[in-house]
Amino acid sequence: MGVFMEELADFAVNYAVGRGADYAEARAERSEGTSFSVKNGVLHAAGFEREEGIGIRLIVGGAMRFVSTNELNKKVITELIDRAVRSGRSSARIASKINFSKAPREKAEYEVKQRVRSSDVDSKGKIEELFEIEGELKESKLSIPARFFSLSDEVLCKYFVNSEGTRIKSTIPYVGFYSLITVSEKGQTAQRSIQLGETGGWEIVKGWSLPSRVLEEAKAVYNNLKNGKPAPKGKVDVVAAPEVVGIAMHESVGHPYEADRILGREAAQAGESFMTPEMIGKRIAKEFVDVVDDPTVPGSAGYFLFDDEGVRARRKYLIKNGVINELLHNRETAFSLNTESNGSARAMDYACEPIVRMSNTFLLPGELSEEEIIEEVKLGVYMKSFMEWNIDDKRVNERYVGCEAYLIEKGEITHPVKKPVLETTTFDFFSSIDAVGDEVGYYAGTCGKGEPMQGVPVWMGGPVVKLKGVRLG
Amino acid sequence: MDFDLVEKIVKRSKELGADDVVAIGEEFRKWQIKFVNNRIATGMSSYGNEVSLFVSKDKRIGVTTIKNLSKRNIEESISKLLRFTRKMQPNPEYYGIASGPFRYKVVEGIYDGRIGKLEERAVDFVESGINAALQEGATRASGVLRYNIKSEFLVTSNNVTATERSSGIYFSIRALADKDASGHKVCCSTSLSDFSPEKAGSEAGRIAKMALNPVMGDAGRYDVIFDPYPFANLLNIVMDSASIFSVEAGFSFFTGKLNKRVASNLVTLVDDGRMPRCLSSSKCDAEGVPTRRNVVIEKGVLKTYLHNTSTAKKYGVKTTANAGLLAPKPWNAILEKGKHKEEELFKEVKKGLYITNLWYTRFQNYERGDFSTIPRDGIFLVEKGEIKKSLKGIRLSDNMLRMLQNLAGISRKQEQILGWEVEIPVITPHVLVKAVQVTKPE
Repeated sequence: MGVFMEELADFAVNYAVGRGADYAEARAERSEGTSFSVKNGVLHAAGFEREEGIGIRLIVGGAMRFVSTNELNKKVITELIDRAVRSGRSSARIASKINFSKAPREKAEYEVKQRVRSSDVDSKGKIEELFEIEGELKESKLSIPARFFSLSDEVLCKYFVNSEGTRIKSTIPYVGFYSLITVSEKGQTAQRSIQLGETGGWEIVKGWSLPSRVLEEAKAVYNNLKNGKPAPKGKVDVVAAPEVVGIAMHESVGHPYEADRILGREAAQAGESFMTPEMIGKRIAKEFVDVVDDPTVPGSAGYFLFDDEGVRARRKYLIKNGVINELLHNRETAFSLNTESNGSARAMDYACEPIVRMSNTFLLPGELSEEEIIEEVKLGVYMKSFMEWNIDDKRVNERYVGCEAYLIEKGEITHPVKKPVLETTTFDFFSSIDAVGDEVGYYAGTCGKGEPMQGVPVWMGGPVVKLKGVRLG
Repeated sequence: MDFDLVEKIVKRSKELGADDVVAIGEEFRKWQIKFVNNRIATGMSSYGNEVSLFVSKDKRIGVTTIKNLSKRNIEESISKLLRFTRKMQPNPEYYGIASGPFRYKVVEGIYDGRIGKLEERAVDFVESGINAALQEGATRASGVLRYNIKSEFLVTSNNVTATERSSGIYFSIRALADKDASGHKVCCSTSLSDFSPEKAGSEAGRIAKMALNPVMGDAGRYDVIFDPYPFANLLNIVMDSASIFSVEAGFSFFTGKLNKRVASNLVTLVDDGRMPRCLSSSKCDAEGVPTRRNVVIEKGVLKTYLHNTSTAKKYGVKTTANAGLLAPKPWNAILEKGKHKEEELFKEVKKGLYITNLWYTRFQNYERGDFSTIPRDGIFLVEKGEIKKSLKGIRLSDNMLRMLQNLAGISRKQEQILGWEVEIPVITPHVLVKAVQVTKPE
């Protein structure tokens, strides 16, 4: 990070307070990384990024202001703060009065270690990972006319300081992979996208075994395309694998439980929520359903120990024993709903304001094995992965279209089925959870929210679940 | 930031051995006011400058963005980029960048200096939009006012130099008349002269009031009238699909469709980097090629993909002046206007829907074009040309090519749209699409 940027952040907070801010915070960030993409066997893009900047938030006369810059000098910072103070006062006639919930003063420094530092890996070696996937697919003789793979690594150093005396330093390395493959068979095509992401060093990329992982996915898509039969329609049991469970936990639990949406702050962007604070304590699922959001999972894509307001992170039980238990809060929403922040404020980068976000959202495991769950199904569909999905802006009406999926008959998987469509509601989804598997799988995603749009890395996941008697379209 | 700095970066990159160099310097000032439930929630300002740098060496390519413009960091970044690029595998499909010099014509109306000096007037804009929505019957309104000014400096190793200033202002307002009754409108411009947040607020409020007391919609096939805002969401994707990058990588439903019918003969869709008063317009692309009007779909037939110099050479065609730093990208999407008044489109509908906003458009298969998307805010049942009731709870689950081919009517008044999910400016009228598949949870 460097002393200079820390001093500049300290200066910004002191200067803002001196100019009359009731509260001020600064986030100095420095990130560095590389990215590569290979398209149809050709190195399409290769680059590196190094970015430094500072984001400053202040409350002046009850009005909230956020300013940011990569012009790291006191002249620009004082100009931005002066302007923020002026505009805070001039807009007071129609500004919301912002208050923060109380938060303990924190002083901490933490770092996620890289066993193999990504910056020590030669760029040739990084590209090789992508070309090895190409080689594996080529050897398989499958027809895959379009192949796009990208790989990136980044180390993000942050220094957070606020006018209440909190100071947090963190260093978090991240690696990410994305691919889209188009598989064809007799004039028909099917596609599969894969996203992976974890905090850590290059050892994680090695552990992903990308060539064999992508090949397995390609084979499954090909098998579905060649041998898939029409999926059954009407009421059947659906066994949803961790990837499908994960997206449902993210979309229909994580998002609607974001307190800023509930209070209307996201109305013109990602929308509001079916949830109200009064629904806390209401049953939404059977007693063995627990859904958490937990940024402290080691290695996870959404990992952090302190949020972007300097509040200590912790596991939040959004649904506990089948009952709505807790919302996701930052300090502003916590004050509005008379509670305390649970450390859910995140900003995409220094140029973005921190807002209420998920980290890693997943269903906790139960006691049944996947085999035991499938054995109980007389007629159903095992939905292992999905492509198309979406949900309405209140987080009720949702749809998942299976990519790799199979028919289950009399407790056994019999053959692939094409594109089963689960179009349901959040309430029906949760009330139909009839069994929960014993092993959690995590999947990486980039969650979008806010304006300007902020994409942040998250994990979503869960074990296999059985949805009893749901309608497939 | 000045022109000299960008020239020096190109010169230094050449000295260190680069073959082709593109450097784009950008200095910006951005502001935003976010309002929630009729009150301002946050004011934001961002100042910044950066230089995006592309180099090639023996058909190897590398890119970086220099965001710390100290002399030392610039020198380090250029040296590192050259070392980095030399280690890359050659790209046999790289055929170089355009050679200048070029003569440029100024694009009309893309800079209004008043936008950089809005100060308190910005708050007035927000207040007028909110008040207009409330006067129409909304009880609360949320959204953003965003505005910016930008200076760009382009220098390449092939005799290209260009500078340009631009500005933009955007207002997005969602008005709510009740829990399930809302309307959303945007207005955007390069200039204050034709910017009216009050009109957007008023229309959002009017839709919200119309949307009161919605009932669950039914599945089936409907003729759908799209407001410009939701149709922009789809046209953004359509134009992205025309980039040769999307076609090659599998993100396009236009693969293998060149010179084939992809839409009804009413559809003429244009990408025009020279469009006056359009938010992304520019006199040249990232290689310095003067921008032009590209007719992508002409009377329903796909006429071209969007190219840069290198991809154009690969396919034996001319560049369409859509170069980004790495891949071709659209400037905008302009659907040519039709002959009908909006009311006449409604008269065409015996039983259909009027949709005023969409979100969460996701593909099952980009190459086939199978997708679904969710109407939000005002959704209305139309019978015998008249709006009968407000609906909720439905989804459009169809195919993009089928929808383009079923496009049956276009109104004669266009609007420029940007939005939360509309990333390139889209200029579109109201549109009627026949027999769109509607689904819903059972």
